[in-house]
Amino acid sequence: MKQLAYSSGVVTGIILLLLMWTACQPAPRVRELTVEIAQMQFVPADITVHKGDKIRFVNHDMVAHDITEETSKKWSSSPLQLGQSWTLEVTGSANYYCSIHEVMKGKIRVE
Amino acid sequence: MKKNVIQLSRPLVVASFLLLGVTGNAQQNKGLTDPEVASVAVTANQIDIEFAKIAFQHSRNPEVLNFAKTMTNDHNAVINQAVALVTKLKVTPQTNSLTRQLLADAEKTKKKLQSAKGAGFDKVYIGNEVAYHRSVISAIETVLIPQAENAELKSFLQAVVPALKTHLSHAEMVEKMLNK
Repeated sequence: MKQLAYSSGVVTGIILLLLMWTACQPAPRVRELTVEIAQMQFVPADITVHKGDKIRFVNHDMVAHDITEETSKKWSSSPLQLGQSWTLEVTGSANYYCSIHEVMKGKIRVE
Repeated sequence: MKKNVIQLSRPLVVASFLLLGVTGNAQQNKGLTDPEVASVAVTANQIDIEFAKIAFQHSRNPEVLNFAKTMTNDHNAVINQAVALVTKLKVTPQTNSLTRQLLADAEKTKKKLQSAKGAGFDKVYIGNEVAYHRSVISAIETVLIPQAENAELKSFLQAVVPALKTHLSHAEMVEKMLNK
């Protein structure tokens, strides 16, 4: 009986230690990446990220651009004027384009 | 078909004129001055806005209307930047024979656009946009950029070219859709 109580105490202790260790671990680091919009192109046009990362799109062109998910228009920025930026929190892989200049395209790959 | 060929060739005539005109000018006046370059650049943008206005009146096609909206917004943005630059440089755009020829040709094109109807209008408008952008890109790359003396004006013209090339690709994409 005494042995059983001792074993239970050890197990509980281990569980508590594990919980404390887990709590002390740093959360997966969210990266912030940048896609420049310059000379009518997304640079880089193909970017690989982790889920939860943030991508900041910055417009350097004199004309306005937006960033729109291509397949089902799941997400879209408002038009960005020269010098303006917009940040996307990545939830999955996507093909995107500028709906103002439909030939401007980019790709986000989640690994 | 023949009618379309004639309509689409108009901007190419403009480009040829630009090239020939500047060659003529170069011999007599050592090329365009910066105020003349600025005038031609601003006029070329204004003309495409005028074409877009006619598209808003005549077209019901969403792709054509979206293209016309982009032309209006982009060319206005370019004009605003050009005005800001020439104001900073204290350059007053100077009307010249090339500006006048561009405007005269644009009037003829506008008459053709005004007389086109329905889906026929869409094809004429987009076909003209393809040809117009090709000729303007050519004129900027081979005439205006080499002739511009001020470094900032030259750099501004170089910055405009990618936008015009994107417009051309966009127009070609819409043209393919219309021809399906």
